[in-house]
Amino acid sequence: MWDTIIINPMTNLLLWIYDVLGHGPHMFGLAIILFTILIKVITWPLNASQVKGAQAMQELQNDKEWQEIQKKYAKDKEKLAQEQMRIYKERGINPFASCLPTLIQFPIIIGLYQSITRALSITPFDMLKLARTIYPFQNVEGIIPLNSKFLWMDLGRPESIQILGFALPTLAIIVALTTYVQSKLTMPTSSNPNDQSAQMSGMMSIYMPLLLGWFALNFASGISIYFITSNALGIVQYAATGRANWRNLLPGGNKNKISTTKKK
Amino acid sequence: MKTKRLILISLLALGALLLSACSGSRAISNNWHGLAADAEHAYVSSGSFVYAVDLTNGKEVWRFPAEANSKLLFYANPVLTADGQLLIGSAGTTHPFFSLNPATGKENWSESFTKGKGAWLASPLIVNDTIYAPNTDGFMYVLDMNGKEASDPIELGGALWSAPATDGSLLYVTSLDHNLHIIDLANGVSDQSIDLGGAAPSSPVIGKNGVYAGSFASTIEFVQSNGNHDVVATTNNWIWGSPILDGDTLFYADLNGKVFSLDIASGNQNWEAVQSDAIVASLLLVGDQLYVATEAGNLIALDRDGKTVWEKPVGGKIYSTPVASGDLILVAPYQAEFSLAAYDAQGKQAWTFIPEK
Repeated sequence: MWDTIIINPMTNLLLWIYDVLGHGPHMFGLAIILFTILIKVITWPLNASQVKGAQAMQELQNDKEWQEIQKKYAKDKEKLAQEQMRIYKERGINPFASCLPTLIQFPIIIGLYQSITRALSITPFDMLKLARTIYPFQNVEGIIPLNSKFLWMDLGRPESIQILGFALPTLAIIVALTTYVQSKLTMPTSSNPNDQSAQMSGMMSIYMPLLLGWFALNFASGISIYFITSNALGIVQYAATGRANWRNLLPGGNKNKISTTKKK
Repeated sequence: MKTKRLILISLLALGALLLSACSGSRAISNNWHGLAADAEHAYVSSGSFVYAVDLTNGKEVWRFPAEANSKLLFYANPVLTADGQLLIGSAGTTHPFFSLNPATGKENWSESFTKGKGAWLASPLIVNDTIYAPNTDGFMYVLDMNGKEASDPIELGGALWSAPATDGSLLYVTSLDHNLHIIDLANGVSDQSIDLGGAAPSSPVIGKNGVYAGSFASTIEFVQSNGNHDVVATTNNWIWGSPILDGDTLFYADLNGKVFSLDIASGNQNWEAVQSDAIVASLLLVGDQLYVATEAGNLIALDRDGKTVWEKPVGGKIYSTPVASGDLILVAPYQAEFSLAAYDAQGKQAWTFIPEK
């Protein structure tokens, strides 16, 4: 079921792009980039909804009425929850609007990940599975095996560059950095020191780069290409909305923003 | 807040687990078994271990390594040499190439190559006390019988999944890059690469002044030693296993489950025998019986006219080529309760081998 709905179509799309590109050296890396762009375009409405939902929640954190009920019912969690729900309802805010699109995208990310690894099939058994995955219209004899070379990388292996005898995992570093930049840019600023949303975002901006960096360090570099492309597109998309918080990239940038907001 | 932090970390850990479970690393996580045999033992390469199995009773004689090493995985067909070595390379996260004592399983030597980054899926070929070992990194390594590099590796390109074939003066090596490479043994130079039209995962078979090679182009090509080549047979699906040449008769099979017999003198097809499932393993000819192992886990004996003599459900899926030793036909099913089964020529199961935990 999972294969039929997610893996097979994704793998075939990836291979089709690879075939259209001429299936030579470096083309699978390019196919992953184009494939990621395509996925990003398809999921653009979901991302936009996520940004909008996060923005609404962020604005709510700075709202006077919201802050008042936090103080007033600080010791009565049940009442606080009731009041929060009332405000959500009155203002037409869906508190899950920012996380639901992420949850929906999660299977897509896993599917993409599996598609890339399946397409790279490194064992006879994997190759046999790939053969059963490919739709009849594909130029299967021509495109198999995939050329996994991309720039200096073998997309089927974890990447590193030897510098002075030390294997520097450049892609893992770039993945961690771009993930950090993306999460920092989208991190909400809040004048409320008890703003749990901002605190959660702050934690995410630390844990996510570490997690994805760990993936990049240990898994096929084709996945890293996906992460980097996806992060770069995410940054561009968010910047295009004019809401990117570039100050967050600076040390203490968020605090400055908070104090500025307070002065106002 | 602590609870939320815990939830967040748990979700991230779950995500990591999910993605990890999808197996994306270059380390080979699964493949079917390799199989070889001499008069006393069968040798099964199966994941973390190479097992020696007593042919008289199916009991384990030794395993290598004694304790599982997470960096080592074995899937290639082990190869026995005339001077009493058992050769096999690792397909795990590290890729040492081992020489074992076939009687005891003790390591004679192991060699890791500085240039070699690929897994060992192909068996080596020994010619004139020289080991020719094709690797998935696209190089063929040339070693002496002590594992030392006898000459520079020969760069062929593409992943090399199968053992070379030789007529004594030339080496023929198939590659997933669609080519059959011809190497002059005298100077170790690869001077011809013949495009087969599709990836070639199995060894070619030596014919008269050339080789027969199957490929994912669903063809069998005859490639002469001078590089001239012709398609001698076409099927409707990939040809994965090696063909067999017996006199003027060429036997081969495809993923559609069809077994073919071709008269190479006339170019006419003698017969085709349709099985119920895909055939990945190479065929095995012993005496007057042609053994066919299917993906569905059946072992079938055909006579030379393509008529079914017997058919036995072995279990699991069979991708590894059956091996004959004495009166036994050995089959190594994948994803079965046992790793090896032995049958006699009448199709009676002699024993099965289940590795102890």
